[in-house]
Parts: sequence; structure tokens; C-alpha cells
Amino acid sequence: MKTLPLEVSKPMVVKTKKSVWSKILSQKYLILMSFPFVIWVFVFSYIPIWGWTMAFQNFKPGLSFSQQEWVGLQNFKELFLDHDFYLVMRNTLAMSIMELVAGFLCPIVLAVLLHELKNKYFKRTVQTISYLPHFVSWVVVSGIVIQMLSTDGGVVNQLLMNLHVINKPIEFMGKENWFWSIVTTADVWKEVGWNTIIYLAAIAGIDPQLYEAAKVDGASRFRQIWHITIPGIRTTITILLILSIGNLINIGFEKQMLLGNPLVQSHSNVIQLYALNYGIGLGRYSFGTAVGIFNSVVSIILLFSANRIFKKTTGESVM
Amino acid sequence: MKVKSKVISIVSAALLLMGTAACSNDTASTDATKAKSSKGPVTFTYFGADPVPTWNNMQDEVGKEITKRTGVTLKASYQVGNDDKVGLIASSGQYPDLISPKGSAAKMVDAGAMVDLKPLIEKYAPNIKKLIGNNWGRLKYSNEDPKVYFIPTYDAVGQKQFDAGGGFELQHAAVKEAGYPQIKTLQDYENVIKQYVKKHPTVDGKPTVGMSLIGSDWHFLITVTNNATGATGKPDEGEYSIDPKTHKATFHSRLPEEKEYFKWLNHMNDIGLLDSQSFVQTYDQYLAKVASGRVVGLADQSWSYGSAENTLKGAGKDELTYGHYPVTLNDKYKRHDFQSIGFNAGWGIGITKNCKDPIRAIKFLDFLASDEGQILNYWGIKDKQYKVDNGKRVIPADVQEQKTKNNAEFTKKTGIGMYNISMRYGDGMKDSTGNYYTTNFPENVVKNYSKETKEVLSHYNAKTWKDLFPSEKEFPVLPWGAAWSINASSNTEYGAIFQKAEDTAKSYVTKAILAKPADFDKEWDNYLKALDAIGVKKMEAEYTKLVKARVELWSSK
Repeated sequence: MKTLPLEVSKPMVVKTKKSVWSKILSQKYLILMSFPFVIWVFVFSYIPIWGWTMAFQNFKPGLSFSQQEWVGLQNFKELFLDHDFYLVMRNTLAMSIMELVAGFLCPIVLAVLLHELKNKYFKRTVQTISYLPHFVSWVVVSGIVIQMLSTDGGVVNQLLMNLHVINKPIEFMGKENWFWSIVTTADVWKEVGWNTIIYLAAIAGIDPQLYEAAKVDGASRFRQIWHITIPGIRTTITILLILSIGNLINIGFEKQMLLGNPLVQSHSNVIQLYALNYGIGLGRYSFGTAVGIFNSVVSIILLFSANRIFKKTTGESVM
Repeated sequence: MKVKSKVISIVSAALLLMGTAACSNDTASTDATKAKSSKGPVTFTYFGADPVPTWNNMQDEVGKEITKRTGVTLKASYQVGNDDKVGLIASSGQYPDLISPKGSAAKMVDAGAMVDLKPLIEKYAPNIKKLIGNNWGRLKYSNEDPKVYFIPTYDAVGQKQFDAGGGFELQHAAVKEAGYPQIKTLQDYENVIKQYVKKHPTVDGKPTVGMSLIGSDWHFLITVTNNATGATGKPDEGEYSIDPKTHKATFHSRLPEEKEYFKWLNHMNDIGLLDSQSFVQTYDQYLAKVASGRVVGLADQSWSYGSAENTLKGAGKDELTYGHYPVTLNDKYKRHDFQSIGFNAGWGIGITKNCKDPIRAIKFLDFLASDEGQILNYWGIKDKQYKVDNGKRVIPADVQEQKTKNNAEFTKKTGIGMYNISMRYGDGMKDSTGNYYTTNFPENVVKNYSKETKEVLSHYNAKTWKDLFPSEKEFPVLPWGAAWSINASSNTEYGAIFQKAEDTAKSYVTKAILAKPADFDKEWDNYLKALDAIGVKKMEAEYTKLVKARVELWSSK
């Protein structure tokens, strides 16, 4: 697959300018068609980067660009000298790695299991029910989670009491050390069905003849999964994994903001929440931008290194 | 060819002329008092930082009347959501004619967008001038820039409170069963709750809650830290306590007397009377709990738990609604809930440099500040929304019914109360005919009480809850007004420390309250240490400066 386009492009380089123009001419409709999207990317992804200049200024809205006061790396210094920043980074990385692992394995397992189901209607029902929570906003989900884990008539506590596992209701939401797990579980519950869809689509693309051949060779259900289904979706898995590693630091803040409370603050504060509370929320746009730049740089580094590792080990990559 | 070039030169000359004309227009309007004012109908654009969902483009009855009298039509737009619209307006340069930017006023002033109103008011606005009286000092923007950019609209002149909405709340049933004891100290309060919970361990099959707080979000300030201030005999100054003599500000929750209040909460938690969900539940869950009628005591404000109380009223459970008691840590302290802050100027409406006809604009605002304009705004149109019986303004019963039953629809149709965009008198002030300006007056408060409420109050020889509290006459007027309205810019080091101090208080005070009683002192020391580490002293010094500047500014003439 990889070598084919290379061979085509080789002679093109050797040829004269004229043939480049003729190539462009022959592809003029394709080029024209791509224009709107190139412009779109430029306008919405590249022009805003100009705003990064704010991080090096003491930005004040209302003043023109030339009137802004330049402060160099002052905002970054402030960020890295803040003791809270390291706490926030710890929480961010811990929660996103937990979510990465759980949120990555569960959909694959669910997709494979769903694929193995023979009853079409049961399969559809499970699929629909499992991806419905995706459409529920975090505000509602957090309400459900807090209510379920409440000591005041919460389902979980009542169940544990009735099973005599505990004799006094546990204040789940007030335990610092449990916060990460609660967030991860809630996230998996909400997103597992939705994330399954892409794997199911990949599985559907596997040639059924492979399964038939395996059956003839006497492969069990587990063997079939291990040798056909998993390798069949390996490319999809790799690409999604690389992309989610790139997004490791972009954890968002809704879950943590809505599920958090003063008791678990030291474990619930994440980098986006920090940028919101100490940057934009206080009108410190420059500081907020500095946090944003830090975020983007870390993301790019993570993305490239993950990509490189996978390219070397499995030969698959996004770039 | 010749003709063509001639045409071009004429056109360009005309363009040039138009350009200079436009320029000269601009320079004229910057000196507001000298500009010429028009007479015919005019439209002003207006932006308000607080949304008015019932805004009807002045097609309501009061709006039409205002347009008829003044010739002015307002084209209003409002803040939607949390985005910083004022900041955008300030940076774009496309200012509306009139703006009410609330806390973001500094952005407009820093951009040089506002017109100095003092000369305009002196010359064209006798009604506003009368309302300002000798409060000019309070209207000034700052000591460095002592101009008047905004006419205060968030406070009404002479506004009086007729009822208490804060303090500590107890269900009427609990007070009744306790035999209407004196409820002055935390001990009294605790005893009433303790007895009631002992007698009624469950309500409708669910456990009775002694006292519930809402400490998981910003209500933490209302139900946790503010009460520490109230119970230790200080007026509510936001997150600070200000020394009346030296004007030194202290982050109040670190004061030793407030430690005693939190220690009491810790004790309540220890004996199981404090709701264990207090710092975990969401606001909605809290309201649901209150509405179920099984929470005996609250330490909240009626505007905060009011919707839950209304559910109780609707269900006919008036005995489970709440009364307000002036509870303090011990009898050494006196509640300062009603200490007067004077006229709290600050936020309000201003005219921008883009306004073509500032004289017309100030005259429009002056009409709204006139007796006629105020009565129109508060009461509506005569013989439609109110009648005059023997010289007394009264609201006919059918109008009152519409007003209470479907207030939003009523407001949209009539426009009553929607034009609070100029200076005005507040509740309890009477006009030249001896009628109250507003439709809120003391007689109404008692009228709206339930039978149970009246009965409880009668046992304390009081007409309203306010009567239980020390009266405003016992305290001097605070020279700095409401400390929470002092705008400290947030995008500075001060702002960051303040945010951290709030977060630290939330987390550490909560931990101290929920700790084992033996560990309380240790947790408290941790709290003080954490505050020191983030530079709370620096923050207090900064704020003290602001308070002193405010006092200096407001005492000026």
C-alpha cells in the first residue's frame, strides 16, 4: 500500500516545470474543490494562533495591538512558579491516563462482544442503550452520579447496606482518593457505547471469508477473535490510540467542575479548570493564553512521540 | 474625457466635504454640553449587562407612554450567558448610546468611552440632581479620575428593608414544640433542633435533618462563611471584615472569633445534627431536601431557599416553613444585618462618546427619574394598572391577581418595573402626595405572611422578622458603603491571590468542620498556614488601600 504512491510521484520530480502545470491543470477541479476547506482551516485554525501573542503581553481588552504592554515570559514564569500548577498537572495526567486506559479498552471489548452476538435485535438494543448516555450532558450525568452515591438514600449505599457489605453509608463524593476513579467510571459509562461505534464499523469491514476459513481450520470463538477480529481492527485501534494520546492533556473541565466539591478539591482541579478559574475567570487573558500554549505544546510533543513509537514498532501511524 | 474628469473632481470634492462635515460633527459631540439637541422622535441604542427577559422593545404600555412623553425609543440588547460582552464592546469601539456595564465599568472607562455626566446633570437634569442630593462624592469614578460616568441604578435612594431574609432559620413547627423559647445564641438554636429531631426522627419515612448547608459551590459563601460573620456581630462585607476605625481589611474567615463559629459547626457535625451531605450535595439536591420539609434548621438567605419554601407553602405545609432568628455565637455579640450602608452608588447607566445627542439622552433619563416617570415605572398607567382612591394609589384586585399569578406575562404586557434604568426612590419613600413610590410597603409584608408565621411572631411580640433583629438605628452608616461593591480589578496579582484565598477557605474550612473534634485545632492551624503561604497579608494590605480610597472618595463633595 505504502510503496505505490511513491513510485508514481518519483518521475514527476524529474520532469520539467511544464508537466507540473499540466498536472495542476488536469486537477483544477479537485484543487478548486479543496479551496473552501483550506480557507476554512486557515481562518479557524491558523489565524487564531495570532492570539498567542497575548501570552507575551499584559493584555488589556480595548487597547490596540501596538498599545499593549509586552512582558516577555512573565506569564509563563508565573505559571511554572505556582505551586498549584504541579498539583493540577498531577490530577490532569492521572485522570487522563486512567481515562485513556479504561476509555480505550472498554469500547474495544464491548465492540468485540457485540460482534459475537448472533441475535441481531438484542445486539441493536444493547448498542442503542449503551450509546444513549453520550447525548446526556455532564450536568445531568453528574446529578445522577451524585444522587446515586449519596449517603441520603443513594442507590449504591442502600444496596451495599442491604447486602451487609457496610453498616454505615459511605460518603463517596467526599473521599479525595476516590475522586479519580469516580470520574473515570462515570466517563466510561457515558462514552463507552459511543466509542464502540467506530470499532463496530471497522469489524464490519473484515472479510467474512476469513472467519469461515478459520472455522474450517477448527478455530474456536476465542481464537477467531484473537487472530481475525483484533488484527482486523488493529489499524483503527492504533490511530485512535495515537490521537487520544495527543489529547491526553486536553481533559476538559466539565466533569471535574460538576462532580467536584471543596472536600476533594486537591484531587479534582485540572488544568482547564485552572485556566478557567485563574485565567479567563479573573480577566487574566494573558495568563490563560499562557496555560493554553503550554497545553498545545505538550499535546504536540505527546502526539509526535506516540506517532513515532508506533511507526517504529507497528509500522502504523497517522502521519 | 474632460467631462469625465470634471465629474470625478466634483464627486471627490463632495466626498471631501462630507468627510470634513462628519469630522466636525464628531468634535462637536465630544463636548457634550455644547452640542445641539433635537426635538423630534429619536432612537437610542442601549446595552444592559443584566438580561431583562421580558423586554418588549418598548411596545408595552409603559414603554409606549414613555416614548409618547419623551420621543425616545430605546433599542436595547442584553448580556447573554457569561461571556464578556462589555469587554467586546469596549474593544470594538462600537459603543451603544447608553450602557449599563455593571461590574465591567472599568473596561468602558479605560477605553475612554464614557461621557462625563456631571455638567449634563447640572444643566439639564433637575430630577436626577435632586435624587443625588449631597451624594456627589459617591458618584465619582475614582480619586484619580473624579468624573461622574454613571448614574447609579442598582440601588434606589432611601431604600428600606421591611423584613429580614437572613440570620438563622428554624421551622415554625420546631419553635412551636419548643414552646417559643428565646432564640438568641447558637446554643438556643442548637437546643431547638436537638429537641425536635429527637422527637421526630423521621419525616414521611425519611430521616430528619438537623441543619443543612450548601457548601459545594459558591453558596459556600452564603451558607458557611457569611454566617460566621453574622454570628460574630459584623456587617456583611463580602470576604472581608473591615475595622471601623483603622479601615484595615482582614480576610474574615481567618479571624479567631470566627474559628469559634466553625468549631460549633464541627460540634454539630459530631453530634449528627449537621447534614453529612452539606458539602457534597448540589444546590438542586439541597432545594429538594428543603422542599421535602425534613430540614429543621437553615443558615441561608430567603432568596436562596425561597423556591423550596414556596413548594412547602403550595403543599399547605406552612408549619414547615422557616422563620428568621438573630442568632449569635454568644450574648456578647449583636447582629449587624441591618447596619445601613448609605446610598450604594457604583454600578449604573452611562452615556458613551458615540451618543449623537447626549442632552436628549440625559433628559430622557431625567424624565424616568421624575415623580411622573417613577410612578409610571413602578405603578403603571393611571386607571389601567392602578387607581387613585381618596388620594391613595391602589392596585385593583384583578390587576394584582394577574401580577402575582403570571408575573412575567404581566410585566411583558404592561412594562411595569422594566425601566429601572435611571435614579429612583426605593421602598418606603413617599412622594409629595404622601403615597409610596414603590408598590412594596411595610403593610404588604405582613399581609403576605401565613397564619403560622403570624402566630410564631405574635409569641415574640413582633410584627415582622426584622423586629427580632437589632435595628439600623443602633449602628452608624458605613462610610465605605457595601464593601462587596468595591471593584478590585481581578486581572492582577491581587485577583489571583484572592481567588486562591477563596479556594483555600472552601477546602480547608470544610475539612476542619468535618474533622473529628480533637483534630479541629490542627486542621485550623493548617488553614492559617495555607493562607499565609499564598500571601493573604499582601492581599489584605491591597484591599485596605482600596477601602481607604473609597472612604476618601465618598466623603468628598
